[in-house]
Amino acid sequence: MIDPYYLQQLAIGLSLGMTYALMAIGFTLIFGVLNVVNFAHGEVYTLGAFAGLVLISATAPPIFAVIFIALAIGAMAGFSLERIAFKPFRRFTDEASLKSRAMRESTLLSSLAVSIVVREALEIVFGSQMRSVPFEYLINTPVRIGPVILVTGDFIIFGVAAAMLIGLQYLLTRTRIGLSIRAVSNNPLGAKYVGIDTDRTIIMTFVVGSMMGAAAGILTGLYYGAIFPAMGFVPGIKAFVAMVMGGLSSIPGAVICALILGISESMATTFVSSGWSDMVAYGFLILTLIFFPNGLFGARRERV
Amino acid sequence: MNVSDLSAPRRGQGALIPLLLALLVFVGLPAVLAGFDRGYFYQIANLALIFILLSASMHLVTGVAGLLHLGHAAFYGVGAYTAALLSTKFGLGFTVTLPLSGLVAALIAFLVALPTMRLVSIYFAVATLAIGQMLYLVMLNWVEFTKGPNGIIVTKGLELFGFSLSGRLATYYTVATVVALCVLAIGRLSHSYYGNALRSIREDDQCADAMGVSTARLKLEAFTLSAFFAGVAGSLWAHMTGYISPGDFKFSESILILAMVVVGGLGSLPGAVIGALLLILLPEGLRAFGDFRNIMVGLVMFLSILLLPKGLLGEVSALQLARRQLGAAWRNTVKGEGIGWR
Repeated sequence: MIDPYYLQQLAIGLSLGMTYALMAIGFTLIFGVLNVVNFAHGEVYTLGAFAGLVLISATAPPIFAVIFIALAIGAMAGFSLERIAFKPFRRFTDEASLKSRAMRESTLLSSLAVSIVVREALEIVFGSQMRSVPFEYLINTPVRIGPVILVTGDFIIFGVAAAMLIGLQYLLTRTRIGLSIRAVSNNPLGAKYVGIDTDRTIIMTFVVGSMMGAAAGILTGLYYGAIFPAMGFVPGIKAFVAMVMGGLSSIPGAVICALILGISESMATTFVSSGWSDMVAYGFLILTLIFFPNGLFGARRERV
Repeated sequence: MNVSDLSAPRRGQGALIPLLLALLVFVGLPAVLAGFDRGYFYQIANLALIFILLSASMHLVTGVAGLLHLGHAAFYGVGAYTAALLSTKFGLGFTVTLPLSGLVAALIAFLVALPTMRLVSIYFAVATLAIGQMLYLVMLNWVEFTKGPNGIIVTKGLELFGFSLSGRLATYYTVATVVALCVLAIGRLSHSYYGNALRSIREDDQCADAMGVSTARLKLEAFTLSAFFAGVAGSLWAHMTGYISPGDFKFSESILILAMVVVGGLGSLPGAVIGALLLILLPEGLRAFGDFRNIMVGLVMFLSILLLPKGLLGEVSALQLARRQLGAAWRNTVKGEGIGWR
């Protein structure tokens, strides 16, 4: 019989992995599927959490209104992020500049710069301290299952992550917009030739991905009860690690790897102090890049 | 520009700008600083010099070799911690810790770079981010060794073979001399055949590989060299301020250094220096309006990518400047065909 302590750690790890998975789904959609390097996803996550927090402290809305406003802010953030940090660098549409490294690195740097500006602006407006969520909005009522104690938030996050995953798979494989997203990710110029509005498709991808990022932010904020401007950085890294481990373009792979990551981190805290647990993610990232450059679930890539 | 223009040897007017710069750094600026005689100004001048060195060392790896490095501040931190620990635990002075901290940073960079050098573009960037964060976590969490978040107080100031150099002006001169020597070395490295080989990796590494350039080795060397200079900067910082803590070496500092290189112009050493000056002095000048340092970094970086994609002083103009002013390169051989940088 397994020690209940480890079962409990496993449950904690699963719920931690679930919060990473929430983030990783939207991240993989923009980064992996569209092949655009977006460092500002963590800030979309933070913006979603702050939008919810502001609404909660201003009025006392039902929880669905909070989620709704976070989704709306996420959509707006995704739209403006694309317009500000990515559109200006898509001036040239010929094949050479689409493939050039300079182009890709300029969007990488511009999204990094936008993320700094957003984070610092949030810090100036709200202060860099943690803000706590009012007690009645927290989603951590304990639920006992056998020897393991879970909280309601675990089920909510699991449900939302599953819904996101299924919805996204449906969107990508069964709808016209999903078809055009996959076409643009495969070959932007070719997509243009066959009459796909690439600009609109890219914006749609950003909007959908950022809505998911913002939802992840508010849910995680309600789950842990703490919201602060730098909260997006660590989950952003974790989501990136999960994405790379999962093989870049595979959303289910990213989710599975996010769960693996969460479980390994919570297991690691049994042996070392919690300050070191971030080391697990960075270690996984380096190991994956060295030994499994195609990721655990991905298709072959040309060069890593 | 035609070929004869390029190959014309111009020794007469050479070395004017370097001479003026040296005069400014070693005579003009100290005179102004001594005139004001306020610790704050000295502090800013030293900080700017250290960041010039950091930005120049990043220029070598990110600008010239084209490897996006997101963990540079960690190697700066390794240098600072080496200097601090050596001087507090073994009582070693600045003369010994300065080269040692560079070497330790270079050694660690070499070890972590061995497996990761194969990676390209974004994967390399993220690997360096992970390496930087791992080193930062070590500084933060290995409390018995690094004292963790409390930081280390370094009692030994700057000295040279036993002579104390801890006065304000002496400190400035020491920092300026070390930084000038290092920047000179980086300049010679990046304006040479060696630098051109690194540039060829940046432009197309597969092609460079096919032409016989050993890309993996050169990348490794560039990364290690840049970590060496960052470690030297860290040692200067540790002995100058007398107190270091992990907060000085976190991710946002790496981004600050990256922003300096990007704003100045990727691949241009004068650009890296200008970028460092801009991003250190501008927030200090605007300090009266509140703490906008980091938001300024982001804004300046974004605007410069958007409006000045080549940077303030782009690579081409920097190379032309180096060619004219340093008189170092593109001399005719006996037969009359110029064959490149010497």
